[in-house]
Amino acid sequence: MKSKRQKGNFHQILAPLLFLLPNMFIFLVFIIVPAFQGLRMSLMDWGVFTDPVFIGFRNFAELLQDSVFWVTFVNTIVFSVSVVGLMVVSSLILALLLKRNTLTGERVFRAVFYIPSLLSMIAVGIAWRFILGDEMGVMNYLMRSMGGPGVPWLTSGRLAMMSVIFVSVWAGSGYYMVIFISGLQAIPTELYEAARIDGSSSWNTFWLITIPLLKSTLLVVVVLGTIASFKAYELIFAMTKGGPGYATKFIVQQVYQVAFMEDRMGYASAMSIILMLLIGFFTALQFAFSGKDQSYE
Amino acid sequence: MKKILLLLSVLLLVSIQLFAAGAQEQKAQQPVTLSVMWFNDANESDVFLATIADYLAANPHVKLDMQVVAFADYEQKLKLMISGGNPPDVARVTNNHLAALISSLEPIDGYVADINAVKAQFMPASVAFALDDAGKLRAYPTEATANGMIVNKTAFAKAGIDVVALSKTWTWDSWEQAVRKVIAANDKIKYGLALDFTPHRFSTMMFQMGGRFLNENQTAMGFNNPGTIAAIEQFKRYHDTGLIPKSVWLGSENPAELFQAGLVASHIGGSWNINTYNKNVKDFEWVVVANPKGAINSSVPGGKFIASFKDSKNKVEAQKLMAAFSDKAHNEMYCRDTFNLSSRVDAQVQYPSNMADFATFKSDLEKTPPFTANEWKHPVVNKVSAYIREQIVEVLLGNITAQQAVKNVDVKGATFF
Amino acid sequence: MNKQYPFKLILQYIIILLLAAATLFPVFWVAISSFKPQSELFRFPMSFLPDEWTLENYQNALSQGNFLLYFSNTVFVAVVATLITVMINIMSGYALAKYRFPGRNIIFYAMIATLMIPLQVIMISIFLQLKRLGMLNSLWGIIIPPAATPTGIFLARQYMVNLPDSMIESARLDGGKEFTIFWRIIIPLSKPIIATIAIFSFMWRWNDYLWPLIVITDNRKQTVQQALANFVGQLQINWSNLLAMTTISIIPVILVFLTFQRFFMTGITSGSVKG
Repeated sequence: MKSKRQKGNFHQILAPLLFLLPNMFIFLVFIIVPAFQGLRMSLMDWGVFTDPVFIGFRNFAELLQDSVFWVTFVNTIVFSVSVVGLMVVSSLILALLLKRNTLTGERVFRAVFYIPSLLSMIAVGIAWRFILGDEMGVMNYLMRSMGGPGVPWLTSGRLAMMSVIFVSVWAGSGYYMVIFISGLQAIPTELYEAARIDGSSSWNTFWLITIPLLKSTLLVVVVLGTIASFKAYELIFAMTKGGPGYATKFIVQQVYQVAFMEDRMGYASAMSIILMLLIGFFTALQFAFSGKDQSYE
Repeated sequence: MKKILLLLSVLLLVSIQLFAAGAQEQKAQQPVTLSVMWFNDANESDVFLATIADYLAANPHVKLDMQVVAFADYEQKLKLMISGGNPPDVARVTNNHLAALISSLEPIDGYVADINAVKAQFMPASVAFALDDAGKLRAYPTEATANGMIVNKTAFAKAGIDVVALSKTWTWDSWEQAVRKVIAANDKIKYGLALDFTPHRFSTMMFQMGGRFLNENQTAMGFNNPGTIAAIEQFKRYHDTGLIPKSVWLGSENPAELFQAGLVASHIGGSWNINTYNKNVKDFEWVVVANPKGAINSSVPGGKFIASFKDSKNKVEAQKLMAAFSDKAHNEMYCRDTFNLSSRVDAQVQYPSNMADFATFKSDLEKTPPFTANEWKHPVVNKVSAYIREQIVEVLLGNITAQQAVKNVDVKGATFF
Repeated sequence: MNKQYPFKLILQYIIILLLAAATLFPVFWVAISSFKPQSELFRFPMSFLPDEWTLENYQNALSQGNFLLYFSNTVFVAVVATLITVMINIMSGYALAKYRFPGRNIIFYAMIATLMIPLQVIMISIFLQLKRLGMLNSLWGIIIPPAATPTGIFLARQYMVNLPDSMIESARLDGGKEFTIFWRIIIPLSKPIIATIAIFSFMWRWNDYLWPLIVITDNRKQTVQQALANFVGQLQINWSNLLAMTTISIIPVILVFLTFQRFFMTGITSGSVKG
């Protein structure tokens, strides 16, 4: 590394900065500056129409005692960890089934599994309310017309959580399937040939060849999936409105409610900073676990 | 790769063409263009334009720039625009919006000759919503809404009950006896009542039981009172005994859909449901009835308004337009075509159908005590209402008692005073 | 492999077909319901197919508001934004993958971190910023600010890390300029990831609601998603229009996906690179 810098290569420093410039400029103006304002606002007491008053860390102190916030905190983690876990598995299975380019109808199937990711969250919420609704849903209608009792998919707290997890996995798997397929196709086929000649079982091939070579893709999927699931809001709100009670209420919904219904922007900013730290913690963990990244060798 | 580029550029070209066509239209500038912000339940923005067409024809220098925003984000969008210093010239607002935004609205007082004459044209509850702390009118009432009960008349008839006659004097007890008979007599009817998943609709029952949100002179919370507790407990009992489907308050299912499907005997919704049911219910007869009496007779008033903002750019023209839109003839036309109750006391709206149903809502509204409007216009009630909803659900789930819930609400509400 | 295990292949087909049916069921339900008259939507007993097929919902949805204009606005935003996003993200991804310069890791992690900020909270600050820059009620206000997507940079970087350094080095020795190397060597090698980012960006822009909500109020500048959201009122929901419009809005993205997928899925083998 040092030898390269010794070359005094002007291009090695200026060129990448120029390449990064448009992106960094947009980030700076539209995300970073507003975000720092948000950070400052977390130390203020203010509503949309009132002047901010500096109150130090009192918002954070209040958060520690806010039982509703901690319920949403735990819900968010439970939801996110479950969704990411299930989604990695489901999207990888889909990718493995549809990776080879020779299967008849493969392109159509990929599109089919990708369709849920194409829908706006409004549409997804509508579709699943039609299916899981207690009285008016198709599932319960079928179960009852066969003489069974209905299942309270969205009415019982535990089932409602499972339902929103399931639907989130349904809605996201196609997206990550696409990323996995790209990753899988970059694995040289010779390696599989060699494994086959050595008589390795497909189970062993999967764990010894596919998974290790898919590591950088896995990291992308896990990191993006984690961040997206921590920020999930529209779909869950459309399905359950956070209920029953607090059962599927997550931090983002609480932030929204406090900011715009209770008009406490400072307190909401403090909550969202906790959310960011939480996401940051999980993401850092994932980067750490992924071990050495090929690029930094 | 080339194909992608080709496709992209074709799409781009097409959209630029259409885009340019839109931009050219804009160039034909007129002396005043009022920006009008609206949200739609059905087709209100179109009806507004049709209603005001004659005014615009008579005033060719006025042009309207309609901005329709989805209701779910309407308040937030208005707040963004106000805090950014560029609110629209005219906006349609609800009574809830008024509670949050009234200080940003332009008082009407300075623009009309006799403000008291204007106030006298509208129902007292509607005026109450639009008054600021100093008693200045800041918005023109347009439509009024009333919460009330709509019943499946066919199902009641099948149980041998003349629901229209019975409802003239019924109490919650006689209502309960009747719907239990209805459930027994109809295979399809599973429940007695569906009540919208909002604190506003819940407050129908609460006010009837003598409950309230705030203390008498609105200086502090007063949710912890016998009437409110009785209402929550009755509500829970109805859930526990299968009279109300759990799926509405616990699973956020839409009660209007349950009623349309013919699964519930009665629905506490409001005057806006007439429009929906008129279009969608084909399998049975339904009718609006008086609310059952608890400790008192009460509906809950609500409504829509039209207002201009302190920072609006064309306030004078905006006020003229609003005044014209709110006069008797325009208001009657607008309410008739949107199928709503009018806020004007002198309006004689000739609806194409359902005259009796509207009359029932109106008479329920007349029996309603005025403090209900004053409670619902209070900013703290609006801020704490999401929490109230959550706490009621906690009671329904059996996690806390009604007594604990009302205490929690009072503690939370106190932080906003 | 397939010839050796025809049974396994059939089993895979069955699994795929079952999963596909389960995946599509909710979408079908929405699409088929859009052909039901409003009064049939919430009727008991239910029926999957409409008793009476009708196109009335489509006529209503298309005649209300200015559908064609919303549609072309959305196409304009999605296409232009995708072009910009792909360009600047690929550039950034390349810089982060193939150059060693001080602060590289910090910039990379900072960009990922911006993904963690919940937009809802900084909405007011963003709104004020856009106002200062005069970008409100302009389609450029929806296009530019979210064009720098951390997701795109992340995908681009992870892909380009695996490109061989040797090609770049030898091009440098031949006296290639940095930008020429990027344009002539890196871009052609990165086609699959370009296509992936393009399709993700297009889909996201097509469905995005939050940015148009912040930026646009003018009716002539609204997007399809805003028009969709307008069908849900305070007290009533215009189900028939909503279902019809939702169905229409899905069709273009499916077509785009079907057209483009061979570029980013099969295309990868032709440009296959072995790290």
